[in-house]
Amino acid sequence: MRQHLSRRQISAWVAGERAPEDERNVAECPECRAEVAGLENAVLWFRGSVRAWSEASVPAANRSRESLRRWRPQWALIAATLAILAGVPIYRNVERQREAEQARADALLWKQVDAGLSRPVPAPMEPLLSLVPGEIR
Amino acid sequence: MTTAVETPGAQMEDFDEVVRLYRPRIFRFALASTYDRDAAETLTQDCFLKAYRNRDRFRGESSLQTWLLQIAVNLVRDWARNRRLQFWRRLLAAPEPDAVREWIPDHDLSPEVKAMVREQVAAVWRAAGSLPERQRTVFLLRFVEDLDLLEIAAATGLTEGTVKSHLSRALQAVRVRLGRIK
Repeated sequence: MRQHLSRRQISAWVAGERAPEDERNVAECPECRAEVAGLENAVLWFRGSVRAWSEASVPAANRSRESLRRWRPQWALIAATLAILAGVPIYRNVERQREAEQARADALLWKQVDAGLSRPVPAPMEPLLSLVPGEIR
Repeated sequence: MTTAVETPGAQMEDFDEVVRLYRPRIFRFALASTYDRDAAETLTQDCFLKAYRNRDRFRGESSLQTWLLQIAVNLVRDWARNRRLQFWRRLLAAPEPDAVREWIPDHDLSPEVKAMVREQVAAVWRAAGSLPERQRTVFLLRFVEDLDLLEIAAATGLTEGTVKSHLSRALQAVRVRLGRIK
């Protein structure tokens, strides 16, 4: 009595390795034929499903790139806003430095003005003061 | 009369044409391997980028298709290693019969047969998802990409005997899965 194909023989058959003895077995044994046909069909259906999914996915992948492209201006806007917000502290810092420098310059000017006002006579006339008696000064 | 023999380099001259011809196949292999559309798209782009950068190294020892698939196999392997957790999560979420409904080519089948086909396809997806990486790669190259054993050996860097062994184990795993739905 002929033995049924083993698991390994069934796999080998579906993978394409067909020994003459196995061919005879499949031709003569309905059960073995059903076994290999069942596995072959399942694998063929699987291949069909992968191909169909792949073909359906290509446009979808392109669509996702399209949507990314559509989003790009919004991302640019967000990036610009972030850049502005990031720039505010720097601007504020520069502004603060400018104010401090201005304050220092103003202080110096006021000192000079004070010094000028506190003089009894304009600077070019100061040598003449030595000629004037102390009480008058 | 002399016949013009196309050199390996000549095949690469029109790279746009190479991409046009082989992109669907590389994408399909990446998609079936990762079960992730975005990853498959990225891996496909990486594959052609790598091929373009290394186009001088293509010597024509294998077909251009096998050479490209070799690059894709390595990229998929690296991708799976780098994202092992994410990868397994995706594989565990392999499709249910209803999810594969739209992927089954439309034939004139009775509703009962369609339902059975859906279940079988989902079972093979699950089996493929549960296979070790090399077995899955060999299985996909053989049964989705129709490569013969020598081409698979060239694309994966395995010996022909190892390819046979992986293929046999993969098919046994598929058969076990199919047995569960009977």
